[in-house]
Amino acid sequence: MSAIHNCSRALALALLFATLPLTEAFAHCFVGARFFPATLAVDDPCVADEMSLPTVSWSRTADTPPATEWDVSAEVSKRITEDFGISIGDVWSQIRGPGGPTMAGFGNLETTAQYQLLKDGSHELAMLLGLIVDWGGTGASNSGIATPYTTLTPTYYFGKGFGDLPDSAGWLRAFAVTGQIGYQIPSRSFDLVQQALIPQVLAWGGSIQYSMPYLKSEIADLQLPDFINHLIPIVEFQMSTPVENNFGNSFVTTGTINPGVIWVGSYFQVGLEAQVPVNAQSGHGVGVLGQLHLYLDDMFPKTIGQPLIGGTGAAPQQLKF
Amino acid sequence: MRKFLTFVSLLLIPLAPVAARAHAFLDHASPLVGSTVATAPHEVVMTFTQNLEPAFSTAQVTDSSGARVDQGKAQVSGNTMTVGLKALGPGSYKVHWHALSVDTHSTEGAFTFHVGGR
Repeated sequence: MSAIHNCSRALALALLFATLPLTEAFAHCFVGARFFPATLAVDDPCVADEMSLPTVSWSRTADTPPATEWDVSAEVSKRITEDFGISIGDVWSQIRGPGGPTMAGFGNLETTAQYQLLKDGSHELAMLLGLIVDWGGTGASNSGIATPYTTLTPTYYFGKGFGDLPDSAGWLRAFAVTGQIGYQIPSRSFDLVQQALIPQVLAWGGSIQYSMPYLKSEIADLQLPDFINHLIPIVEFQMSTPVENNFGNSFVTTGTINPGVIWVGSYFQVGLEAQVPVNAQSGHGVGVLGQLHLYLDDMFPKTIGQPLIGGTGAAPQQLKF
Repeated sequence: MRKFLTFVSLLLIPLAPVAARAHAFLDHASPLVGSTVATAPHEVVMTFTQNLEPAFSTAQVTDSSGARVDQGKAQVSGNTMTVGLKALGPGSYKVHWHALSVDTHSTEGAFTFHVGGR
């Protein structure tokens, strides 16, 4: 079974990179003058050609005594058309209890299909609809890392920059927010192994970010060091709230608040965040989350960085300036 | 762990060396973005992080009433875009730019500079 899962992953990825058109390129998450970076804990509000490789996190679980958990994940996103894209990713986890056994293995394969509802450049507003599928039984369910059942999560995403505030707002115009809300629907309502109900969960989160690149190029060039001008300080939050089929269990919201910073370059970005549990049910102590994220459309503008269908092979439209 | 390495190796396949280009960000401008200058400039010079396509990269400058105060089409050379200005009086001026990098990545933006006391 394990070999079949490996082959499935390899085939899915091979198909993703096959038959790429040799046309011209377009953009990732630019909305007008605003660039929304790829956020680490939640998703940005655009379909894109990009890859997170790797995302690494370290945290201590909510168990008593707490176990130490390492997660190493990878995800690649590919536009099929200009407005429709898919992502595929997986995570390898290791959970080591104090003096107890160590569990390790892959989580379930996760795919996401996303459609760009809106990109309004003048208001720096983007909206996105997605369907996240966590494919049950494709991970290490025997060791408790993955679930044997599938979970569907229809999700709405948005991003809003505040560059459309009047000039008198000054430096506030460099702020932006993103958010997402999804409803997790498991394919089973009862876990026979755990002898527990499998709840339906509201998965929600977002970010507040301050763009130093935006400050420099749109508001005020303060002649700061170049490294500073590439930074986007950010606070992300990701939460889960059980809302249905949770009889006998707590309905408490769990999650983390992640203050950190993203350094944005021309071809890649690097992010580092602390993970602060919001309550005792969310974990013990402060964890760490880091990510290297590659802009495939900038690295490979004529191949992988193109939508599979309808790339901008035609000449761009002349502006009427 | 071996499975994870297989997965990562597959992901790395497309990362063979290529001649890369990227989006053209505004690196700096003269007058400086958001600055106040004592004497009116004769032109706005913008330097980008990538080379530009001259035919599709352009800029216009407007005064506080929205009237254009530039002298027409911007000149593009490499990663620099220059637009001439009419004689400016004291006041605030907005530069709107659109840049197409040589690999057709499109970016746009706007910034303000001020002449004389505000």
